[in-house]
Amino acid sequence: MHGDLGNKLVQQAKRTQNLAHLPPYQTELVRAVTREVRDLDKDVAALLEPFQGSFHPTDDQAVACTLLVNHLSMRRNKRCLLAYHHTRTDKLEKLVWKGYDVVDLAGQQVGDGSVNAGGASNVANGDGSMNNLSPQEEDYVRQYSDLLAAYKGQWTDIDLTGSLEPPRDLFIDVRVLKDAGEIQTEYGQFYVRQGDVERLIAQGYLQKLS
Amino acid sequence: MSYYDIDAILTDAEKVPCKFELDVPELGYLDNNPAQPLKSGTTIGLPLWLAELLALANRVPSTADEDAKSFVSLNLPPALSNEVMSALKADPRAVPLRDQSHNFYGLGTRMLDLFEEKEICAVLRRTFVTRAADIALHAGKAGATDDMGVGAGEEFLRGLEEWERKLFKKAHDGAKGTKEWMEGVKKH
Repeated sequence: MHGDLGNKLVQQAKRTQNLAHLPPYQTELVRAVTREVRDLDKDVAALLEPFQGSFHPTDDQAVACTLLVNHLSMRRNKRCLLAYHHTRTDKLEKLVWKGYDVVDLAGQQVGDGSVNAGGASNVANGDGSMNNLSPQEEDYVRQYSDLLAAYKGQWTDIDLTGSLEPPRDLFIDVRVLKDAGEIQTEYGQFYVRQGDVERLIAQGYLQKLS
Repeated sequence: MSYYDIDAILTDAEKVPCKFELDVPELGYLDNNPAQPLKSGTTIGLPLWLAELLALANRVPSTADEDAKSFVSLNLPPALSNEVMSALKADPRAVPLRDQSHNFYGLGTRMLDLFEEKEICAVLRRTFVTRAADIALHAGKAGATDDMGVGAGEEFLRGLEEWERKLFKKAHDGAKGTKEWMEGVKKH
């Protein structure tokens, strides 16, 4: 019956809430639900057609009931669609705040095609969630990142997305997972100041060695 | 409860029995019979998002001596039937609520908004309180042993519905967090 597909979408959203990464965007399902809404709208138009704009619910209660059912089904589908996308954008915003360079990672993976086999699990996650975005979601992430960067830019002496854990040591050992080009830090190559490389760790270029 | 609340939306999909009060030619598909009109008096399980408003929408009486009626009349779903209520009265812990409905309390509160059922209300409250104590007990044990308490009380935990699962997870995380913090204190 109407609304069953929307329900599937919400069940997907429910699963998404409990996952660390973002599962693939359900293009087909979303399309099917919107198609259902369009069909329902056509049904409504067809039902009202013979009345020529002078329909009185009291005169024909069966039609009034059908119209109400159609209307409620459309409204239900709308809520399912919105909630599904809302759950996903929530997750994307969280990823952006955590400093995963979601959009960049995708570009790289498409670009060189070879993902470092020794990559840590969070690297795989970053890559995995990226390819699962719809084009609109990619755009959303890009613009949200820009907004966040502009917001952060107001304070130069504090990194809003930095770790809240006080570091045990000022310097840490890191392992390079992916070629990141020439990177200059103040003190050296592999024994580096944690604050300097926090972002590279979050993006998956480096792995912290404890 | 927010518009985007996934659990609220899933609760909205729970089915309740509805009896149609009029013939509707176009709605046969609701009864899996699209070719036939839906006859007055047919009872079908409809999701709450449909049933509630169909039951609340008033239609004007067609003749003067008829009372104002709605399109459908609602009934309590099987999850809140007398049998389930008796079982809960006997021992709230012995009933796997999940088998009745994944959103058992959610469904209960929605139905009690529509029905004046003092007794069901009282039974549900007592059930929640009694089970919550048990959930906290299991969660504390599981949190302290690092696994999710597999083995002990497995049958009971399998029967938890969504609210209870959330409660379990919060209690579990709380116990685990306390344990970690205590260990951190000892180190310094």
